[in-house]
Amino acid sequence: MELLGYITLAIFIVTMVLTLFRKINLPVQTVLVLVSLVNLLIGFLFRIASDGFTSAILLPNEMIGGIILHPITALLGGLFLAGALEATKGFDALKVIIAKLQKSPIGLAGTLVIIINLPVIASLPCGRIIAAALLPLLFSFGWEGGMGLLTKTQLVVLIGAFTRNAMGSCGPSPIGGVGQIGEGFLGAFFPTASDGILRSPQAFSLMIGTAITALFLKIISQKLYPNDVTLRDKPTTIGFEEEKKITKIKAPFRGYLSLIIFVASLLIAIFQPFGKMPVQTVLVAGGILIILFCRASIQDLMGGIILLPVTAMASGFLAAGVLAATGGFDALGVILKSLSAIQILGVAGMLAIFVQMQTILPLSCSRILTAALVPVLYLFGPAKFNLITWPQLAIVMAAYMINATTSCGPSPLGGGGTMGEGQMRAETGFIKGAYTFASMAIMAPIAAIYMKFMNFTVFSPENPEFSQNLLVLALFTLVIIGISGGMMGIVSRSIGKDVAKNWNLQLIYFLISGGIAGAVLALAVYEIKILQIAQGFIGGVIAALLIGLMVPKTLAAVRRAA
Amino acid sequence: MTEDKDTKKDEQEDKPIGARFEEDQPYVMPGIRRFQFFTNVNDRALTKNLNRAAMLGIASMLAIDVGKAVVNKNPQTIYCYECRACYGTQDKCPVGIAFQAELVVSARVADYNRFLRNGGLKCIRCGNCQSFCVQYLNLPQIFGTMQLQTMEALREGKIPKSMVKKAFEKGLINQAFIDEVAEFLEMP
Ligand code: SF4
Ligand code: SF4
Repeated sequence: MELLGYITLAIFIVTMVLTLFRKINLPVQTVLVLVSLVNLLIGFLFRIASDGFTSAILLPNEMIGGIILHPITALLGGLFLAGALEATKGFDALKVIIAKLQKSPIGLAGTLVIIINLPVIASLPCGRIIAAALLPLLFSFGWEGGMGLLTKTQLVVLIGAFTRNAMGSCGPSPIGGVGQIGEGFLGAFFPTASDGILRSPQAFSLMIGTAITALFLKIISQKLYPNDVTLRDKPTTIGFEEEKKITKIKAPFRGYLSLIIFVASLLIAIFQPFGKMPVQTVLVAGGILIILFCRASIQDLMGGIILLPVTAMASGFLAAGVLAATGGFDALGVILKSLSAIQILGVAGMLAIFVQMQTILPLSCSRILTAALVPVLYLFGPAKFNLITWPQLAIVMAAYMINATTSCGPSPLGGGGTMGEGQMRAETGFIKGAYTFASMAIMAPIAAIYMKFMNFTVFSPENPEFSQNLLVLALFTLVIIGISGGMMGIVSRSIGKDVAKNWNLQLIYFLISGGIAGAVLALAVYEIKILQIAQGFIGGVIAALLIGLMVPKTLAAVRRAA
Repeated sequence: MTEDKDTKKDEQEDKPIGARFEEDQPYVMPGIRRFQFFTNVNDRALTKNLNRAAMLGIASMLAIDVGKAVVNKNPQTIYCYECRACYGTQDKCPVGIAFQAELVVSARVADYNRFLRNGGLKCIRCGNCQSFCVQYLNLPQIFGTMQLQTMEALREGKIPKSMVKKAFEKGLINQAFIDEVAEFLEMP
């Protein structure tokens, strides 16, 4: 069984990496289904040899158990509702409201900041629900979308930041979010963990990560890939008639009605005032109300459904299901644990790599790996291997979880971020650098620091050090942002025409930031211990190297070569 | 970025963007390009039917996943978020089951191995874990149904002895089932 795990894990990782680098030129769904089949076959033969035919015949059931229906149906529900909103001119109603808000005291900038952070405010259990519904609206802020409020550059930043925020919002969600997986495990020691021990570290670092993503997209990504966004800016010469068309947006009554139903369904899904009820049911009920009252046809609603991310997610779960059934994830746990025996890494270095695992291998839904890796992390704690204590485990869990939940963002394999790239008319991979950087260098260390200095005191409010810790958290956050921001400025200024040089520059930047992130994590876990901090730094550099290597040098050219 | 630079870029983009796609590919709506890309790679597969078969495979697996839960008379399991909030039950579970979500998922697809391994046959259906579930799923009922199915499968010889033996040795079988399980293990 053990050998089988290594074999299936190796097949999975090698094929995924080759697909990420586009060396395997097939849709990811096909690749994943083929990998699942091959692994299933190997598992079948091994099982027959070791446990007999009766055992082998149960293997497909174990594989199907890997499919997590919830994000798939949540996405379908979100797309369904978005289709309804679109068909009934609900987006036009929203545009009118935004045009009015823009003239209010909060202005356009304030409105946009609220919109960008809407996903984390709503905290739905899958970021795609709100992204599917609102991304078309954000697009409409540009010239091509009809409102002409923002330039191309601004639109890229807006859509990129919004999508980043959305594809991480499943972390702090209290209604079936991914973060609850970690909270469930931490409940073994912290009695109140399942009430949301990870929620605030995730929400806090996600908001800061969103801001850093926006900055990265503005000053680095657009310079690295200048020709890979096909959005158009408003032409300098524009006729009076056209100008009039842009400024005069009207919406029919049914548009407002469908918008009200949409907002109400979101609120019901989030606050669950009528008792516990699946989000999907609420969304579909909202869609049906829109059909009834706003005269949308079922066809309109179905038209909103994009099958690509759905199938990508489902095939990912299948592949993970086979890995789990054949012991592939157990093998991964053993490999990770043995990393800690390497002198130069130690436990601190291994953990620095572990928390970045899902940024290194971003799959189409964070649940695919999280469901497998959180139990491994749990075993590192007092429950089995005793490598770390419970509070240390909670700190590492906070850092791990935020990176895990944001990992569908940069995934080119049908991840949530591709929805954003589609909306900003960018090549696949355009947002990868910004997203992976924000996860690796900003979100993980900030979540760890937050857990260390805030949550433990919040969870024991009698602690007099509360305000002192607040200050420490603020200082750390400022230092982390300051270093990243400063270095970002230097990189931005050094970007030139030479693609290879630009990429090397970005890689070095990643390495330094990754090292710092690893060191901060070690500091949060071990406090001021030089050896562990150095080990954390080295682990962070290794993780950053693996992450940096995955960021594409060029986008369009990759495809030309393929 | 200044207006000037933006205008320059705009000029660049008026050129055909053939580098991204085959020249003869019609430029449909922007944003649809990603799907064009997938259609393009579609053509490069060994056989077009490979991708079709994969899609069919995914669709049927999803259908089986949902269908099995219904056929197995455990349709509630479809609504499980797999969020693991139920792990918060901890010592409120009188028999010390730690991973309730695993039992829910195994009940959905009739994965006897996972059910046995996580102590499914140890559960006494007290219902303490139910209040921890974010969906308030009827967990004791789900587990009870799966227990009956597992015992049925055991009688029909669908579960290999080695799997049951492991659970037995770890004390993962409760009083209600232990005699029958012991008898099953003693069978030649
Ligand atoms: S119903 Fe079963 S799993 Fe839930 S608390 Fe009771 S014994 Fe434990
Ligand atoms: S808490 Fe409920 S919905 Fe969440 S994993 Fe457990 S059984 Fe499923």
